[in-house]
Order: sequence, then C-alpha cells, then structure tokens
Amino acid sequence: MTGSVLALLGVALAVVLPGIGSAFGVGLVGQSAAGVVTEDPDKFGQTLLLQALPGTQGIYGLLTGFIIMLQIGVIGGEMVPLTPEQGQAILMAALPIAIVGLLSAIYQGQAAAAGVGLIAKRPEELGKAIIYAVMVETYAVLALLASIMLIFGLQM
Amino acid sequence: MPIVEMKKVLLLAHREEQGQILGLLQKLGSVELANVQSSPDWEELKSLMEPDQPTEQVSPLETRLGEVRYCLDFLQRHFPVKKNFVQQFTGSKLSITRQEYINHVGRCQEVADACAACREADERLVQIRNEEVRCTNFIDELHPWSSLDLPLEEIRSTGWTRTMLAVVPAEGLGGLQEALSEKAEDSFFKLVSQNKDQVLFLLIYPREDEPVIEEICQSAAVSEASFPGISGTVGEAIAATRQRLQALQEEKAALKARVEELLVNRRLFMVYYDYLQNELNKREAAENLARTEAAFYLEGWVPAPALADLTATLEEGADTAVLLVQDPGPGEEFPILLQNQGPTDAFEVVTRLYGSPSTRDLDPTPLMAPFFFVSFGICLSDVCYGALLSTMAFLMSRKMKLAGMGRQLVNLLFWGGLSAILFGVLMGGWFGDLIPIGPLWFNPLDDPMRMLIVSFVVGIIQVYFGMGIQAFRNIKAGRPWDAFFDQGGWYLFLTGLILLILPGGGAIGKWAAIAGALVLILTQGRSQENPVRKLLSGILSLYDVTGFLSDVLSYSRLLALCLATGVIASAVNTMGGMLAGSIVGAVLMVILLAGGHIFNLVISTLSSYVHTSRLQYIEFFNKFFEGGGKAFQPFQIKTKFVDVEEKEAC
Repeated sequence: MTGSVLALLGVALAVVLPGIGSAFGVGLVGQSAAGVVTEDPDKFGQTLLLQALPGTQGIYGLLTGFIIMLQIGVIGGEMVPLTPEQGQAILMAALPIAIVGLLSAIYQGQAAAAGVGLIAKRPEELGKAIIYAVMVETYAVLALLASIMLIFGLQM
Repeated sequence: MPIVEMKKVLLLAHREEQGQILGLLQKLGSVELANVQSSPDWEELKSLMEPDQPTEQVSPLETRLGEVRYCLDFLQRHFPVKKNFVQQFTGSKLSITRQEYINHVGRCQEVADACAACREADERLVQIRNEEVRCTNFIDELHPWSSLDLPLEEIRSTGWTRTMLAVVPAEGLGGLQEALSEKAEDSFFKLVSQNKDQVLFLLIYPREDEPVIEEICQSAAVSEASFPGISGTVGEAIAATRQRLQALQEEKAALKARVEELLVNRRLFMVYYDYLQNELNKREAAENLARTEAAFYLEGWVPAPALADLTATLEEGADTAVLLVQDPGPGEEFPILLQNQGPTDAFEVVTRLYGSPSTRDLDPTPLMAPFFFVSFGICLSDVCYGALLSTMAFLMSRKMKLAGMGRQLVNLLFWGGLSAILFGVLMGGWFGDLIPIGPLWFNPLDDPMRMLIVSFVVGIIQVYFGMGIQAFRNIKAGRPWDAFFDQGGWYLFLTGLILLILPGGGAIGKWAAIAGALVLILTQGRSQENPVRKLLSGILSLYDVTGFLSDVLSYSRLLALCLATGVIASAVNTMGGMLAGSIVGAVLMVILLAGGHIFNLVISTLSSYVHTSRLQYIEFFNKFFEGGGKAFQPFQIKTKFVDVEEKEAC
C-alpha cells in the first residue's frame, strides 16, 4: 500500500505546487491590471489575456496529476497495487512540473504584470508583452514534458 | 515581393493650392510624408525658405476639438456607451455614408450650440452638487439643536443679559455646571441635546458676570455656536433646507432629462470630432513642408502600385503641382509596407506583432506561414475544437467590420482551426476521446516518443529552412562564399551529426560531420587577422552547435501542448462520464462537458497561438531576419469614432 500512497503524494504535489504558483502569478497580474483598468476600462480584454498566461502552470499540474491517476487506476478502473519502488518512481516523475511549475508561474506573473504596464502606455504592443511572458512559460512546458514522458515511460 | 516597392515622390506647387493638395493626399491616404528637414537637399532648400509659423492656425482648431471632446466625455459620463468584450480588442466605430458625413460636418453652428448647451448643463450640475453638499452639511449641523423650539432670531442679548448657544465636550459638562452654580448663580443653563461626545446648551447670564463666565467657559473648552441669517425655529430652518434639497433634486432630474435630449447630438459630435482631428492633422502635416513666399515643396514615399492613382488625382485636382518620382537611393531607408495575397495575408499579423522588417530583409510572412499553420495545428490537434474555432472566426469576420490587424488575427484563427481539424483527423482528437474515431496516423497519447520525434523533425526542417533563407540572402547580396562557408558548413556538420544518431547512417554521418567541422574550423575565423586567432575562432564556432540543439529541442513544446489539449479534454470527458446514470446526472454531465470543453478550447487556443508565435520569433527569425524597419504610415484620414463608407453617395 505504501507504493500507492507515494504515488498519490506525487499527484498531490503535481496539483498543489503549480496551483499555488499560478494563483500567485494570476493574482499579481490581476492587481496591476486592476490599476490600469481604473484609468481605461476598455483595456479589460487585453489585460485579461495577460492575466491568463501564468494560469497555465496550474493546468499543467492538474494534467500531470490526472495522468498519474489514470496510470495507477484511481479513476477509470481498479487501483493497481504498487510496490514502494514504483510509488517512489511516480513521485519522482511528478517533481519536475511540481517544482518548475510553482516557480515559473510566479516569475511569469511578474513578467506579465510588467507587460500590463507596457500595454497601459502602448496598447498596440500587446504581442510583445505576451511574448515576454511566454519566454518564461517555456520552462514549465519543458518540465511538463519531462514529467509526462517519465510517467508514460514507467511500467505499471 | 511581399515588401511593397516604394517610390520617393517630390512635389512642388503653388502656395495657394497647399490646403487643397494636402486634402487630396489625406483623402488618398497612400503617401507617407517625409520631413523636408531630414532630406539630403535640406541645406540647399534652407536658403530659399521663408520662416513660417504653421502653428498659427492650429490653436482655434485645437480649442474646438477640446470642446467637442469635453462634450463627448460629458455625455459618456451620464449615459455611458459600453463596449463588449470583442469590441475592446477590435474597437467599435459608427458607420455612416459619405453624404451623411458631409451633412454633419456642415453643421458647424449646431455643434457650437450643442457644445454650449452641454457646458451649461454640466456647470449647473456641478453647482447643484456643491449646493447639495452645503445643504446636507447645514442640516447635519443644525439637527442637534432641533429640540430648541425658539425662533433663533429671538435668542439674543438684551441690555442686562447675554444669551448664548454653545457646545461643551461631554466630559466637561459636570465641571461646567458645578462652576456655574458656584461662581455665577444668576446664570440660567438649559441643556438642548447631548450625545456621547458633546453637549449642546443654552446659557443666559447677567452682563456683569461676563468676565467670570468667560473664564469658566475657557477652562471647560466651551465653544459658542452662532447661526447668523437664520430666522424661525431650528425645525423650520431644517424643513426649509430639506425643501431646497428637494427642489435641487427636481432640477437635477430636469437637467438629466435635458442631457438626455442633448444625447441626439452624440452622433454629430463624433463625426465632428473626427473631422476636426483630421483638419488638425492636415495643419500639422504642413510642418513637413518647405515653403517660400509663393511655392511649397514636399517629399514623401508612395507604394509603387499606388503611384498611378496619385498622379491621376494630382493632375485632376491641382493645376500647379509638379510631381517627380525617384527610386530610393542605394542604402536609403524607406518605410516598409507588407502586402501579402491570399491566405498568407492572415499570417502577416504575426510578423507585424514582432516588428517591421528592415529595408534589406525579405518579408518573412510567406516563409513562416506554412510552419505556423502546421505548428498551430499540432498544438491544438482536435477536429471539434478546430471546427468550433474556424466557425467562430468565420462568423466574426462576417458579422463584424474588422480592419487591419484585427481582421488578420481573426483570419489567422480561422486557418489555425482548419489546421487543427487536419491534425485532429491524423491524431484522432474529437473532443479528446469523446467521439471514438481512431487516428488516421497515430495517437500521441499512445506513443509520445514518436510524437516527440515528429516535433523535432518539424523543428529541424524549419531551422534548416531558416538557414537556407540566409544562404539565399548571402548569394543574392553577391557573397556566395559566405553562403557556402557559413550555412554550407553548418548544413554538412549538423546533417552528419543527425545521421550519426540514426541507425545505419553512422559511416556517412561521421565523415559528413568531420568535413563540415573542418569547413567551419577553417572559415569561421576568417575575419580575424592573426592565424592563431583564425583557428581558435574557428574551433570555438563549433560551440554554436548548442544553439542549434536548443532551437530544435524547443520544438518539444509541440508534443507537450498537443498532449495537454488531448489530456485536458479526456479529463473533462472522464469527469463527465462519472456523472452519467440518472436524468439529473445527465443534465449535469452535459453542463460539465460544455463548460469544460469551452474552457479547454480557450486555454489551448491561447497556448497554441503564443507558443507557435514564439517558435517563429525566437527559433526561426533569428536565422535570417534583421528587423528594425520603420512601418509605412501614410498621411491619411484617421478616425476614432466613425467609419465613412467610401462609396460616393452623391
């Protein structure tokens, strides 16, 4: 049973940590955006787009958690009994997106918040503001990739 | 050539026709005016010029513009027009016919009257608001005294006594009463009202006690209250003020109705605002000219296809204009206008968001479009999402009047949707796994390694293609050896390395890589003087292979995003499946499926768009693209509020 508990710990970490990061990042952008929208309510749509960017890490985390749940049969079947080694392996596989997701969402939130400042003055440069934030997200995508490949690579 | 060829035009005409010619150019909207002062011939021209003050006529126009803007703001404040979510991105303009435009612009006096009416109403509203505040404060002040049912004008001093209304802090009351009864026993103290902070009272005392009373009052921190100019009892005064407030309310309502009547002028204001703004732009454009007493001279850029139109317009509308046309000189920077035909037009928005190409660049749009199409499709890779996206984009482009980048962006999403359908069919994504139709090629969820390789292959092709474009530019610029050494060497070296890791390509790969490496080692230091440095720079250049590696590895995001779309969709489906079974469950399931898939569509489209753009900007453009050009900004009619339909009604 220990193996399954470790695997579930992996699920929890993968969902919780990037979720915290995204909540922080999205909140940060929301604060800047609210300031800009006070001056110009018509910028709501543009700022909302920027605010959505640091939210993807939380989704990546949920995604990873979901794949693990499918693999170990928590949803859609009987739960597979896992050895402690298998459980540890799944826990390890969850770590890349858990850790990178947490931090990258925070930093991406900061970049996107600065982008809100950019479009406050130059609304036509929304594309550039988005790209700056997306540069940060790259690393979350890579971590997600590593986690997914690890999970798919493990034989249950 | 998608970068439109630019011609330099030099125009000379009589001063009398200046306004008319500028008007023609503005209406035509195909000429970018260049400041004559930055012209190479400026030194010569300068001596001919008479100094002028183009600002002299600006200021009355600006005043009128400010007035109209004020009125629009005023109306917006009282009767706001809200923009919906889509309009915040695309803007919303009133569309009117040219005839209507001309009619509106002619109603100059009416605008002035309406402006005056708006200002009058606004000023009165401000006065009313101030008076309301005053009345409310007055009532607050008087209210504690309302139990004093004496007419206020009767509370006054006589020859022998003095009467005062006063306030004392609550904690001082005991001390005050004690002192009064001890030292001034002839005084009369009457409490009017009291709360936890202060006590209001009436005090009557003989004049001879005045010094004593003053001393007592001072030590108890008593402050006298006076109500000059009020007659009748406090209750009456409050009632009167309430009545006044009521009257103000009524007047405000009447004014509000008046403002609502003025609202019919909003359309007129909007048209007039745009008209004035364009007149102002015309005046400001005159600052680019060189002028003598009798003639003026301007320089500008016009796209070659629009040249014939310009010549014809000037021939017809201006008698004295002389137009000279030149090609841009070698190395002269000209403004960049991108023009792509057919489907690639939509992808132009991706280039434009990055920035204009320089005068030496190729337009990257048609080169990047196929890769953008494929990458976007791989990221979204769902037939149903693609169909929804394309349908929405199609409806938007039909229903809404979009122009410029907004239109291109919507078209881009339309093409992206088509691509997602294509890759959805190949990879078996139909709302994730909701509709069980097998993949035509393979499902990345079953075989992620294979999908990773597909992503890398897309990356290698695009990066190679980018290097090829740079080689082409080198050859075209007359540097074929640069193309051979720089791009050729890398092609050989990288292809060799790739062959090395493929089964069966080892031997050829080894020699190709060695040959490529040798070319690079021997040539990459060719700008150095010292032979040792030449060799060192050559060897060091091999380190750039990490750049190539990271470029290609970056394409692994295609796999990640492709899986993300599919897995989130499956997650939604799984959760929906758990609810099925009863009628309530089925209803909840449908709600959950609809909400979940819409959410996933929005998030996945956003991710696909931004990550695909990034691949173009960072991994592709840096191979050959210089950027930093100046976008073509023609002198034209610019409007903020209205769109004048250009079909001539008259």
